[in-house]
Amino acid sequence: MIGRTLTATRMGFREQARRPLLLILLLALPFLFISWSFAITEPTPRLITLPGGEQLLTTMKDLHGAIMVPITVGFLAGLIGLFVIQSALESDRRLVLAGYSPGEAILPRLVVLVCATLIVLAASLAVTAIDFIPASWVPFVAGNLLAGLIYGAIGALAGAMVGRLGGAYLMFFLPMMDIGVAQNPMFFDGAPERWASVLPGYGPTRVLIDGAFSQSFDATGPLVVALLWLAVLSVAVIVLLRRALGARR
Amino acid sequence: MSGDVSVIALSGADFLREHLRARLTLVMLVAIPALFVVVSSSVLGEFAAALGGSVGGNSASALGAGWAAAFLAGALGFFQVSSSRDADRRLALAGMGAGRVVIARISASIVLGLLIAVVGFLTLWLSAGIAHPAHAFAAILIFALIYIGIGTLVGSFISGALEGSLTVAFIFLIDAFSGPGMSGSGGVAQLMPTRKAADVLIAAGAGQGSPSVDWIAVGLTTAGALALAASAFWLAARPRSR
Repeated sequence: MIGRTLTATRMGFREQARRPLLLILLLALPFLFISWSFAITEPTPRLITLPGGEQLLTTMKDLHGAIMVPITVGFLAGLIGLFVIQSALESDRRLVLAGYSPGEAILPRLVVLVCATLIVLAASLAVTAIDFIPASWVPFVAGNLLAGLIYGAIGALAGAMVGRLGGAYLMFFLPMMDIGVAQNPMFFDGAPERWASVLPGYGPTRVLIDGAFSQSFDATGPLVVALLWLAVLSVAVIVLLRRALGARR
Repeated sequence: MSGDVSVIALSGADFLREHLRARLTLVMLVAIPALFVVVSSSVLGEFAAALGGSVGGNSASALGAGWAAAFLAGALGFFQVSSSRDADRRLALAGMGAGRVVIARISASIVLGLLIAVVGFLTLWLSAGIAHPAHAFAAILIFALIYIGIGTLVGSFISGALEGSLTVAFIFLIDAFSGPGMSGSGGVAQLMPTRKAADVLIAAGAGQGSPSVDWIAVGLTTAGALALAASAFWLAARPRSR
């Protein structure tokens, strides 16, 4: 069983490796989006509220650079989740017909999705570090990773539920409107409005903003919210994909 | 000639039906621009100020409607081409000809672009009020048409859905963030595809008309984008000799 899963995982990576343009885009887009955000933003002062309630004076430039990381990671991971899972459904149905269990077929796709998210995250963090050093790396990295995994899972769900085109429309806008607008401390009063806390980007963004600007960790609540989102979405992805693959046996 | 028109009209209607067969896709085509205009209208002015720009008030809201139309239309144009590449080649081979396939596909995209522009414009009108509605609507539609051209162009060269989507997103973000009222005012920013359309839209949001030279530039850009897209699509859709 492990051997079959490893084979499918290896084939999944090989399939992605045959698309050099994809790898170039996954590395180049974070570099362009983030470095360009730093370059074009004015260092005007901005008062923000951290998760612990403390108010901090920073600059729009630092805020824009910091918030572009989860926007980029969430956006790219969402599209990867959408298209990797959507294009895999057909071939994975054949794998299931050939004797794989749905779990053995799903796991390699999820491994590919997580690895692609980690590549995008590593590229984004490396670019960010040129212009901005967060006060505390661990929550900053954790928040961005959670944003990527949550949006990767949302993309995977969108691919399985609304198809390629509807999913693309959704994943083009959802991370932008959630992380880019609703959770963005560049807007409103320097903290998300109350209604924004129901969106999936709330937890990860508060965790990473805490890491970006505070040396103490005061975002335990948002971290729990983010982990709950990730757990629920992961279960939903697995259930939906098992059903999608198993239903045609 | 009338036979050509009826074949193109029939195929265009079929392509439209194919696109809207999934009800959720239609719901998203309507809901996303409306939501984006409402959500972004309150923050685009602040965002522009952070980038050193000066756009604000109704002009910023109007620009949000243009961006929403552009981004959706770019995805639409890309998927119209990339998801039907093989079917289009077969249609062309079966006697329809690459030229008619291209005209029918792009016409279907334009009808959908019109729908997106109408939704964005109505949301803008209802939420912010527009002093120069005719100019604002024309400019939003032009954003959509230019990006239908860009999406179609990308789809003609890039077949992978993920790679193509990322390329459209990349072009859009560079174009939007370096547009008027945002970070760009000279140099490369002047060459961005929606530069003049954004000037017209910002002016309409502020209740001002635009000089005819701007309209000429906007018309030429739109015609150029669609002509370039049609040529690239024709090259991709034409039957290959074996």
